Amino acid sequence: MSLNRFDQEADPIVRLSDISKRFPNGTLALDKVSLEIPRGQLLCLIGLSGSGKSTLLRHVNGLHKPTSGSVDVMGMRVSEAANKDLREVRRHVGFVFQQFGLINRATCLENVLSGALGRLNWPRYGVRSYPKQLRRLAFDHLDRVGLADQAFQRADTLSGGQMQRVAIARSLMQEPQMLLADEPVASLDPESSGQVLELLLKIATEENMTVICTLHQVELALGWAHRIVGLRAGKVVLDRSAIGLDQRDVMDVYQRVDVTEAPTADEDVPTSILNS
Amino acid sequence: MSSTVVEQRRLSPPFTARNSKLLIVFVGYVVATIWSWRYIHMSFAGLFGGFSDVAALIARMLPPDFYQLSGIISATIETLWMALLGTTIAVLISFPLSFGAAKNTTPNKFVFALCRGIITMTRAIPDLIFAAIFVRAFGIGPLAGILALGLHSIGMIGKMFADALENADAMPREASISTGASKWQAIFASILPQATPTMIGTSLYRLDINVRASAVLGLVGAGGIGFIIQSALRSLDYPSALAAVSVIFVVILAIEFFSSKVRASILGERSASVVVVRSQSERSIRRTGRDRTLLVDAVTMRSLVPPLTSDRKSRIISVWVYAIMLGIALGTINMPIFSSFGYFDDAWRIVTQLVPPDFTTARSELITGMSETLAIAFISTTLGLFIAIPLGLLSSRNIVIRKMVFVGTRSMLVVFRGIPELIIAVLFVSAMGLGPVPGTLALTLVTAFFMSKLIADTFEEVDPSPREAIFATGATRMQELFGSVLPQAMPALVSQILYMLDVNLRSSTVLGIVGGGGIGFLLLGSIRVFEFGTTGAVVFSIFVVVYAIELVGSWVRGVLDKAN
Repeated sequence: MSLNRFDQEADPIVRLSDISKRFPNGTLALDKVSLEIPRGQLLCLIGLSGSGKSTLLRHVNGLHKPTSGSVDVMGMRVSEAANKDLREVRRHVGFVFQQFGLINRATCLENVLSGALGRLNWPRYGVRSYPKQLRRLAFDHLDRVGLADQAFQRADTLSGGQMQRVAIARSLMQEPQMLLADEPVASLDPESSGQVLELLLKIATEENMTVICTLHQVELALGWAHRIVGLRAGKVVLDRSAIGLDQRDVMDVYQRVDVTEAPTADEDVPTSILNS
Repeated sequence: MSSTVVEQRRLSPPFTARNSKLLIVFVGYVVATIWSWRYIHMSFAGLFGGFSDVAALIARMLPPDFYQLSGIISATIETLWMALLGTTIAVLISFPLSFGAAKNTTPNKFVFALCRGIITMTRAIPDLIFAAIFVRAFGIGPLAGILALGLHSIGMIGKMFADALENADAMPREASISTGASKWQAIFASILPQATPTMIGTSLYRLDINVRASAVLGLVGAGGIGFIIQSALRSLDYPSALAAVSVIFVVILAIEFFSSKVRASILGERSASVVVVRSQSERSIRRTGRDRTLLVDAVTMRSLVPPLTSDRKSRIISVWVYAIMLGIALGTINMPIFSSFGYFDDAWRIVTQLVPPDFTTARSELITGMSETLAIAFISTTLGLFIAIPLGLLSSRNIVIRKMVFVGTRSMLVVFRGIPELIIAVLFVSAMGLGPVPGTLALTLVTAFFMSKLIADTFEEVDPSPREAIFATGATRMQELFGSVLPQAMPALVSQILYMLDVNLRSSTVLGIVGGGGIGFLLLGSIRVFEFGTTGAVVFSIFVVVYAIELVGSWVRGVLDKAN
């Protein structure tokens, strides 16, 4: 039973068994969700705002703990793991946020460097507090997302698409096995959306990363995902290979059967990790 | 049928819980002000008579006589070092304290309550009171003043630091946690960088305040220039007093100027303005050009340290200037740092005598003193507000389009704000005699100068787009002022009035030290005759009243923030 053993090679890399999540305010965000995600899969989560997509992602790296059920990531029982073990898992799981999560007034380089914190001891403050070797690495990752020229600019001087690319570089700094992306392009214009998503996929394929991504744009999802999972009101209502999937099948996920059952908008916004 | 529906529609806004609460607060405030007016026997005739007395006194002071100049200068330098050391002590204590006092970084509820408690305590007790007590323990001299400034400033610095931490965006922290960072790594990597500009700004701002505060600490014997001013006034040597006042006044203005420059360069953020577009000087264009080349070079060379841009350079220079000044201050100030540890026994003995507080010996003085203090605070806030609103309007650059007018008003206000309130109070008391009225007038002036800046800043922060929309409907400037500027500014204005009341209450507790009425007289008296039990009772009462006003203030702010 004890799965609290970290195994980087574990396959399936993620196993969710019957997880339910009820927030303190009473909303049921996830309702008996079970999923197995094999290594290297590109999985796309779709569903209305408030259907539980973000909550599900946050269970994978332990930002949320399920009310019932269990979450295993790389052999580690994340749902019961102690803080130290959780950090171990998080080090290997990159997370890309809709709102980027950058420190606006810090330079891009510093933002990228913060991705290495999981490997370091002691708190760090400022670029100079990180070892030179890591700074070099951070430069390389910025290069990879095409933003090395902006290394010493403040993050808030960038455009939205550039900010998200810095956030991706920060995830790369972790050298992750898996990438979780929560609406990575929802706050971007169509052109930068395309660029960011393309970059994300290119890197994921090159590194053979597992990707779980929530997306609103169904046609984008159908274009690249191996597998599409649809959520409605915290339940899995669709789980199929993307090949041969019709756009109309997917759109069913977005149909609200009963308006009164529709969840409120705020349950999809677990903004503070301290409330969980 | 449709007509009945129309009849049933309400044509005035519903009387919500929020509105009735605000009405109660408003009525309460008005009643308190009227009571205060009667309690200290204010009258409009006395008001104008008071101002003419002061004018007569100032006439007698002219021209200033600088025969004591060397003494004035060394006292001024001592004043500056006291402020610097006091602020440094306060920052050093406040920094760790603020992590305990911020909801998002505190380890647990107990630490949170403890840290917030320390912050509230040190804020509620005015620095002059700390100074008066410390002078008894450590003897006359700057050490008492430094410790007083250090302890009292924790209240404001600690609170602002903690608020800065709490205001930090939580998203970057979630991102840090997601990379596997530990709690403190995440706090240092993503919460602290967001708070540092506010922290540095607060510390510099407090240094400003402390220069002013340390100029008057001499009134109770705690070092600095205040002592010279008071002894000159006591011996009726008015020209010499004016000489000392004008020197410290110029120094305070200079410090304010430099600290605002340094703040601007460290924060790197310039205030947005609606009308005026700042033209770039040739020098700044050259500087940005140089910075850009530095950035490009740093990137092409893959420099692993941030390039030395002008902002960064000025930051490094600031740190060195601070370190050198700190060294000089520690080296030259006339303060027996090590031998004073012997006096901590005395200090401890006084502390033990403060508790239990003795409320009985001076019961009636305590009650009248506290009532007078409250009355002074209410009247000076209200009168000050009436003066501040027109001044504030005149100094907002987005309301008054003529640059001359707002620049003129702003500079006048800056100049007057430079005078420490107790110095104004000393002048008024010298001109009008002892009593609460001169104290009230002095505080009224200070309130007016201070509040007009707050009001002007609030007006300048108003969102311009609704204003444009209202102009577009064909409204006049007055209509636009009432239709879009005031509604946007109102919550901030109310909370500023509450803040001023809070500040004035604290100030009026010490007015009595210079004979300006209120509880300060009893306080200083009890310290002088070693009745520390009564001192404890006074300090306790001040703490309770100040804290009560603060609670009411935060409750009203909470009500204001509600939608209905």
